[in-house]
Amino acid sequence: MISRPAPRPRADALSKATGTERYALDQAPAESLWAGAYRPGAALGLAHAQVLGLDEASVRAALAVPGVLRVLTAADVPGTNRQGIIHKDQPVLCGEVIRHMGDPVALVLAESAPALRHALALLRADLRPLPAVFDPEQALKKGAPLLHPEHKGGNLLLGARIEKGNAREALKNAPVVLRGEFSTPVQEHAFLEPQGGFAQITPDGLLDMTVSTQAPFRDRFEIGHALGLNPLHIRVRAPYLGGGFGGKDGSTAQCLLGLAALHAKGRPVRLAWDREESILAGYKRHAVRLRYTVGAEKDGTLLALSCRLVYDTGAYAHLGGEVMELGMEHAAGPYRIPHVRIEGRCVYTNNPIAGAFRGFGVAQTCPAFEGMLDALAAKLCLDPLALRRKNALRRGDENPCGVRLSSSVHLVECLDTLAAHPLWTTRRDWRAAAPPFTRRGVGLAAVFNGMGYGRGLPDMAIAKVEFTEAGEFLVYNAVADMGQGNAAAFALLAAQELNQQAGAIQLIQPDTERCHPSGSSSAGRTTYTYGNALLKACGAMRRKLISRAAMPLLADELDSLELIPGAVRHIPTGRVVPLKLLAGYLTHDDRVCVAEFLMPVAQNPPNTGRDFLIGFPHLIFAHAAHLARIEVDELTGRVRVCDYLAVTDGGKVLDRCCFDQQAQGGAAQGLGYALTEDFQLREGRILTGDLSTYLLPTALDVPDVLSLAAEGDEETGPHGLKGVGEVGINGPGPALAAALEDATGTRPHQLPYTPERVLALLGARGSSRKRRRA
Amino acid sequence: MNVLFPRTRAELFQTLAEPGARVLAGGTDLLVRLRSGRETAAALVSLDKIPELRGISETGGEGLGRGLRLGATTTHTELLAHPLVRARLPMLAQALSELGSPPIRNMGTLGGNTCTASPAGDTLPPLMALGAEVELASARPHGAGTRRLPLAEFITGPGRTALAPGEVLAAVHVPLPGAGWMQHFEKVGRRNALAVAVVSLAALLRTERGGTVAEARLAWGSVGPTVWRCPEAEAVLVGRRLSLTALGEAAAVVRAHVKPMDDVRASADYRRTVAGNLLLRLVAL
Repeated sequence: MISRPAPRPRADALSKATGTERYALDQAPAESLWAGAYRPGAALGLAHAQVLGLDEASVRAALAVPGVLRVLTAADVPGTNRQGIIHKDQPVLCGEVIRHMGDPVALVLAESAPALRHALALLRADLRPLPAVFDPEQALKKGAPLLHPEHKGGNLLLGARIEKGNAREALKNAPVVLRGEFSTPVQEHAFLEPQGGFAQITPDGLLDMTVSTQAPFRDRFEIGHALGLNPLHIRVRAPYLGGGFGGKDGSTAQCLLGLAALHAKGRPVRLAWDREESILAGYKRHAVRLRYTVGAEKDGTLLALSCRLVYDTGAYAHLGGEVMELGMEHAAGPYRIPHVRIEGRCVYTNNPIAGAFRGFGVAQTCPAFEGMLDALAAKLCLDPLALRRKNALRRGDENPCGVRLSSSVHLVECLDTLAAHPLWTTRRDWRAAAPPFTRRGVGLAAVFNGMGYGRGLPDMAIAKVEFTEAGEFLVYNAVADMGQGNAAAFALLAAQELNQQAGAIQLIQPDTERCHPSGSSSAGRTTYTYGNALLKACGAMRRKLISRAAMPLLADELDSLELIPGAVRHIPTGRVVPLKLLAGYLTHDDRVCVAEFLMPVAQNPPNTGRDFLIGFPHLIFAHAAHLARIEVDELTGRVRVCDYLAVTDGGKVLDRCCFDQQAQGGAAQGLGYALTEDFQLREGRILTGDLSTYLLPTALDVPDVLSLAAEGDEETGPHGLKGVGEVGINGPGPALAAALEDATGTRPHQLPYTPERVLALLGARGSSRKRRRA
Repeated sequence: MNVLFPRTRAELFQTLAEPGARVLAGGTDLLVRLRSGRETAAALVSLDKIPELRGISETGGEGLGRGLRLGATTTHTELLAHPLVRARLPMLAQALSELGSPPIRNMGTLGGNTCTASPAGDTLPPLMALGAEVELASARPHGAGTRRLPLAEFITGPGRTALAPGEVLAAVHVPLPGAGWMQHFEKVGRRNALAVAVVSLAALLRTERGGTVAEARLAWGSVGPTVWRCPEAEAVLVGRRLSLTALGEAAAVVRAHVKPMDDVRASADYRRTVAGNLLLRLVAL
């Protein structure tokens, strides 16, 4: 049995539950100016257009509004006016062309929010329509309108291939061959706190920003490049985020905010996207089309997999190529397959910008490879769980990309835990007891998610811990906490390593001036990489305090001393020197310990995936097995998720409460992706532009998600843990599809599984009178 | 923007006479429309402090004409908590329990839901099936200052009502169905809370001994510009028991007559299918 200790409150629980936590915009000085972007495409119904300029009369009218200070255009942007994390292709303000309906062409500075709103409503842009393209496969055809004519590949941002063995030959000879096509939609991050922050040019010329960001250190370089500033003259502070999920990885409002500050004559400026602007201009999950062919032996042993994936990256690259890379790396599933060929194309269109999103390209592939596994199980009359268990990757295996898995792999244990659970073992009786007009179905999925940046981009963190004058400890968290609980995990790790009460550890949130560069809050790396660095820094601090206490305790052997809560103790005599006293003996420099950690990478990487600039391959993966029990209403196609179980392999569990919250939050967001979040686009226009039409699941739509741990030990992790922030979102898409297939007899191949699509699965009208599937 | 809080009927009509003044009840619809800029107001006149517009009272004597007067500013939460609403108007209670979310139900009012006159207004199909009437108040001298209209005549189109300028909805009068009436309401939304109805059905049926339908009143939401009735389907059911066969026939009649719209929430086809399908649920009554 898995023991479940009483949950311990997270370090940030009380302040967030009581509403006292101060997010970026809560800290803006009252006298701040207001800045806001003018995005004309949506109002004019233009997703691709030449910018001829702003209508001069409208600019005069806007400037005549009392309190309106400036109307800035591309001509006012110093520097390259190009933002982007790797590909710098996105204008801060568009001076020549808008490439999607949310592109900004002007930025207004005003004394108040009403003045800003008024001015934005008065502005008019002179736009000349350009031919547009909204379908990624159309965009690759000859003669398609080009979004970035200067880009060598035309609308193809990146085409790439991962190959192992000879999939074509193996598929030719495989006893069983199955094909399938799948598609997954755009998903909106819909964090509670939309993008924004405030900024000011300080008297000594520093651009000082407090923003809602996942990557404060890297932001400096992106902003500096776009605005022509020395990145080291930019200070970014990243207080707790009200959600990120990848949507705040890279500049969102930062470049616009920096531009506003440059024109604010030293006054602080705030910039806040409202929900509509967040949906219009924010980054989304890539919509993907997937075409699969799988070959197997008659006993279900997988022989070969070939697939082609098309990612729609929208108007700009953001991390499109990298997102596709990770998706491709996972496209064959967590299975042993000797022959693999994965082709991917990431394509520019005039749709909204796609970028990083929890499950980074992987959440899109899971419904596909798991759909193929279920199709194979059905074809061969095998138990879907047994089929997965038979092919599941284990430690020491070579994965589908050719990487020898020297890291911890506990997918089989996840599946075994699921198989033993009553929600699985009682499924037949439960299914048979369906009430009138109701079909019941049970489905499962095996999923995984790589951790860290992958080869080619050092995944490093530098932790700093300070022993304060008061004899307490200050941890300089350098990786933004967007709600996932890493800051709380750091406080816990430090308390354990320093043998102190939790209350003796204080946290500083990321600040490029006070903390050391430690990478972004992303890729399931945060607690792993920074946590490892922090353990080293705390270990050094412990040894230091013991050695500094040797003199006052007159101990000539350090082994005779130990750090205890609030003091260093001489074990043989029991004498102590209180930390508060000890702190007084130490200079400031001596009260600080810094240590770094670099994530290990795959050795002898396979000779494939050469098209990827960085990030291929990964070495360490979190795994999970998910189970869903659902009811489908025959009259309406509505789906009720009755029970949900997530069994997660995240190495050793450091904090059960945070671990469960990640599994539950991931499952809830994945259920939204699978069921209710129906992002609709027509010719580049977002039809679901607010939260009354883009429907997140509510508390009444998500069941209590039962989270279990298949605890292993990742030897390279801090206390054996792996990152579990992403894997949870990958399960619901395939698990719900499997449950729907079980309930209706037909598998949906297109997310989300809306009532309308589910009713179609049931055979629509009069279905209730059809004979039920045996 | 000014928000005014008149305390009497006289003050109310005085403040409403100001140019650009608009009536504010719970604000759950109006504030959204004002924020989006689709509508404007020079001042908001809140009905919140006028006691006679709020609360639930019994009207009529024993027997015929017995009903409830539901004050226009009574919140959905208050209606839901009322024992007579729960016991005698379960179809309305069901609709109220699925309307918005707890915070919306705490603010939103029955009068607001009625005057918004949305095709998807959750309380409207049950009120229509129940034969509700509205009580309208205006500044005209006593007696002439109040008129009553059937709800079906009050709502004239999506977002449109028969409210005359300067007139305010004071209450909704709902007759209480006697013994022998069965009530049913179902809302189909895209999620379980904070959902706009894609289709809804309110059914009020009187059966005789043996389960034969003597009278049927069916009202659908979200399948037309206003609440939609289908006398042809009602006629199919009268004189028959609520068997799957009879209900299936009525459902086919519904699908043949209903003319729903496509929108971001559902296609016309889906609405048509489901508008019929929902009748099959009555087999369980």
